[in-house]
Amino acid sequence: MKLFIFIILFIISAKGITWAQNTIEVFPSASYDRFIIFQTLALFWIGIIGCVIIIKMKLREIERTQKMGIYKEEKTIPLLD
Amino acid sequence: MNRQRLRRWFEERYDLTEIGRLAGSKLVPSHRYEIWYYTGGIALFLFVLQFITGMVLALYYVPHFEYAYKSIADIVTKLNMGWFFRSLHHWGAQLAIAALFVHLFSALLLKSYRKPREFLWLSGFILLVISIFFGLSGYLLLWDERAFAAVKVATGGAGNLPVAGHCIKAFLRGGIDVTGETLTRFYAFHVSILPLATLFLIGIHVLLVQYHGLSVPVSLEGKSRREIPFFPNLFLKDLMIWLIMLGIVVTLATLLPPEIGKIADPLAPAPENIKPEWYFLFLFQTLKLFPGEIFGLNGETVAILLISCGICFFFLIPFFDRKSAHGQRSPFFTWIGIFYTLYFIVMTFIGFLS
Repeated sequence: MKLFIFIILFIISAKGITWAQNTIEVFPSASYDRFIIFQTLALFWIGIIGCVIIIKMKLREIERTQKMGIYKEEKTIPLLD
Repeated sequence: MNRQRLRRWFEERYDLTEIGRLAGSKLVPSHRYEIWYYTGGIALFLFVLQFITGMVLALYYVPHFEYAYKSIADIVTKLNMGWFFRSLHHWGAQLAIAALFVHLFSALLLKSYRKPREFLWLSGFILLVISIFFGLSGYLLLWDERAFAAVKVATGGAGNLPVAGHCIKAFLRGGIDVTGETLTRFYAFHVSILPLATLFLIGIHVLLVQYHGLSVPVSLEGKSRREIPFFPNLFLKDLMIWLIMLGIVVTLATLLPPEIGKIADPLAPAPENIKPEWYFLFLFQTLKLFPGEIFGLNGETVAILLISCGICFFFLIPFFDRKSAHGQRSPFFTWIGIFYTLYFIVMTFIGFLS
């Protein structure tokens, strides 16, 4: 965790140095814009982690049914419609 | 109801059940080295991302030496999310090349190139070379002083090749020196010639993977092993990795947007402490090892000749490694693979730190 925080702080500080050296600002300079961008990034990661968890659960379920051997569709099964 | 009708509409025209059965019946080997096989999927995903972001940037970029720099500055400063798309394109390229290198070295060490997959290796290797040229051609499009100097050095290096060197240099530059002609030429390479070649080679590469199936390491060949369906098992695993990769690219693009230097001036001296992109650092560092003159010959020419020989050997390695072609262990080629991998990593790090 300490290492993770250190890496994040390092990236942010390195970015600050990059800004200082640039002639053209390659990132929105208004603090409100920056806040929105970082907030969106955090929400984006929450979305990604959520999707990964859902896919992982789905995969586990598929593997469970495959292990039981009941995943194959039965051709002769009666349909209600 | 609409969904059922749509499904029926398709089923009347295409045998969806058969396609689904085919996808489900395709099995892939599952073993302890399988993690390395995902690097190919990662590279493919990043290529798709590059195509999308590249298309967006091409809508606003002006490929003329007088306007190129300004158009990029406008993309970054005036367009809504322009800075993000440019940053995404930059980091997508870096990670795609990194993924290709990892894929190449893992294929080398796992001997995935062995018979009958020689053409898979060759097509993958050419794809890596094309990707590197993608990087170089895209770098010049920025038309800043660093890009200008880097392209001057890279094309100058190609000019040191014996016999065809001067022709290659003139062809790449579109003249004697790096000028606006070079920019137009590199733009043509970057947006039309290289993408077409890439699509063609990716098609062949993926087709060959489907034809031969995924390889297994020599140590596991002949042994009983677990096999899992490609769809949905492997596809879902790929999907998870792609999502994480997307997160990484977006994070890097947001936190570390690439800088824009001063506009290129052909008459100005090259900036100090200039370094090429990270994937050229091992070559750059190797060139530094050679003296200016070797037995009366130009040192750089000798160095480039030796490097070319090393790369040619690497390219044709499936045809030299006869033992693994017969399913036997070939420790000599394993050591060669380790040497190539370590050399690339160590030289890149030295180049980065020096």
